[in-house]
Amino acid sequence: MKPGIALSIAAALLLATAASARADAAAGAAAFKAGQCTACHYTEGPAREVTIEDQLAKTGPELWYAGSKFQRPWLEAWLQDPKPIRPLKYNSLTEDNPGDHPVLAAADAASITDFLMSLVSDAVETGVIKPKKHPKGRLIFTKKMPCSGCHRFPTKKPFKGGRSGPSLVGAGERLNPDWIYAYLKSTKVFKPVRMMPVFVGLLSDKDMKFVAAYVASFK
Amino acid sequence: MSKLTILAVVVASLGLPAVAAAAEVEVMFKFYCAQCHGLGGKGDGPNVSPDFPVSPRNFTSAEEMNKLTDADLKNVILDGGPSVSKSPMMPPWGKTLSEAEVDALIRHIRVLCACKGKQG
Repeated sequence: MKPGIALSIAAALLLATAASARADAAAGAAAFKAGQCTACHYTEGPAREVTIEDQLAKTGPELWYAGSKFQRPWLEAWLQDPKPIRPLKYNSLTEDNPGDHPVLAAADAASITDFLMSLVSDAVETGVIKPKKHPKGRLIFTKKMPCSGCHRFPTKKPFKGGRSGPSLVGAGERLNPDWIYAYLKSTKVFKPVRMMPVFVGLLSDKDMKFVAAYVASFK
Repeated sequence: MSKLTILAVVVASLGLPAVAAAAEVEVMFKFYCAQCHGLGGKGDGPNVSPDFPVSPRNFTSAEEMNKLTDADLKNVILDGGPSVSKSPMMPPWGKTLSEAEVDALIRHIRVLCACKGKQG
């Protein structure tokens, strides 16, 4: 085959794949709406919350950057078997998470995952963080900063972490390592009003990368 | 308009912002502090399990809270536990909250303990 023809075929295949992904995302968006997902999740950025009341009015996490936050295989599997991530009900300090997220059939889960993974934020730089059990990251997470006070994390010690934040057990399969770093670095972009302290100005950029790599190593 | 009505309007116009501010501070307290200190400030927030490494301060204990000045409270809220040789489980809120918000939280904490604190 002549190189020119091969190139044309490759380009056509690429275009077809891109068009198919767009079609899948569009079908997923329709399924997301039809499934009443919008009752708890908003998917159009930027962040809308200005006051604490805005945050407390929400009944589920914002998903407008879901494609930057999650790992696709985890998301598709979770939608079919949605075990609680947060020990407590969203925005509650007194009620346990009832674990009542709707369970999706495989086809809907795949379609909605296509849609959610198309929602990306340009505040997440790709390829920056590689998961690593770095001692500095562990030191900051477990000793220097209060991360474990609110987040469950994998450890053999009796104290497994607090309950007010989402559990970080399994974060290595669930979260995009680059998003973890971006979430620490660009607080206001993703969650302008949150119960977690702002660490910009308290942790250096290097330290944030250590913490992100450490959290991304959690099984 | 009667003198009483005028008085009521004046009182309302003076009083309402203060009431709103107090309600706002309570919302802020419950959002940020209650995770560990509890909604009523008793040190019994949902993070505090039996194996939690420290006992968060019980703000309703006048005896305990009278050992601290408002400046002590401000330091620990802004810069975290280690700034006053306490646990790092107390986060540094200095990059999250404004000084005015921290001052308002301290006033709320003093309401919870019904105490004025150590005078420094």
